Amino acid sequence: MMKKDFKLSDIPKRNPYQVPEGYFDRLPMQVMERTSAREQAGWLPNLWQPLRLAMAPLLLLLLVFVGVYYYSAFTEQDKVLVNLAAVPDTEIMNYLSTYATLETTDFAELNTLREQELPAEVLNISAQTAEEELEYYHLNTLDY
Amino acid sequence: MEDKELLEKFARPESRNMAFNQLVRKYQEKVYWHIRKMVIDHDDADDLTQEVFVKVWKNLDNFRQDAQLYTWIYRIATNECLSFLSSKKRKFFLPLNDVTAELMEKVESSPELAGDEVQKKLQKAILRLPEKQRLVFNMKYFDELKYEEMSEILGTSVGALKASYHIAVKKIEEFLKQD
Repeated sequence: MMKKDFKLSDIPKRNPYQVPEGYFDRLPMQVMERTSAREQAGWLPNLWQPLRLAMAPLLLLLLVFVGVYYYSAFTEQDKVLVNLAAVPDTEIMNYLSTYATLETTDFAELNTLREQELPAEVLNISAQTAEEELEYYHLNTLDY
Repeated sequence: MEDKELLEKFARPESRNMAFNQLVRKYQEKVYWHIRKMVIDHDDADDLTQEVFVKVWKNLDNFRQDAQLYTWIYRIATNECLSFLSSKKRKFFLPLNDVTAELMEKVESSPELAGDEVQKKLQKAILRLPEKQRLVFNMKYFDELKYEEMSEILGTSVGALKASYHIAVKKIEEFLKQD
């Protein structure tokens, strides 16, 4: 029990705690190990902290941009596949007969074709046979 | 080795490690005991002491020599202690009283204090002080720092520190009378 007129100066001043034996001999080495480990940790931790903080949203933005770009590219590709697959054969035939006009380069190719020995059945093909051929290739199921 | 010489050697790459090793040897006990009295547990004090010196290593190039090296290191140690105690409260969503109770439990079960009831009561009375007042009390009573040095470390006026220490002593004497 403490006295009623107790003063702090009545208690002998001493450090009541202890450390494990040899602790202060080992501590400098442990600190040096931590500092050298930090030195070898690479360039990023040593970067000026505000710079690291500024880099973080930029990197995030870049990741989002790349993600959106690839996502939209794949979606466009799918759309093209779906749309082409949905076009009926007759419309493709109409398109080819209306818009697929011959150009000078095609004539140039025709000259080279003329020099080749093409089978007679290919050159003398009738319109009906051509349509039958198209039907045979099942345009609806072709992949592009 | 004088601080000035240590700093000069630290600035030269070829003697940097040697100078830092000597700096740690020179200040390790003061830093450790300052921290240990605040966090009580040896493992926590050990971890924080190492962290303090790692920060000293990282920032020593920026140290302005208009302050004393000793008070600068002491300030880093003080900030580490306060951050540690705050993070402990945040981590476990503990109110201040629960952290104090945890530290008191460590004092109570400490084998170093077994059999010394007066010291145990004194340590528990000190733990009942608010954190910053406890810092002021430890720095004045145990470390015997000058108020001017404490003012530099804590960024508080000498007058406020004197008043804080005086109140801390009165509170401790009251706590001891109650027990």
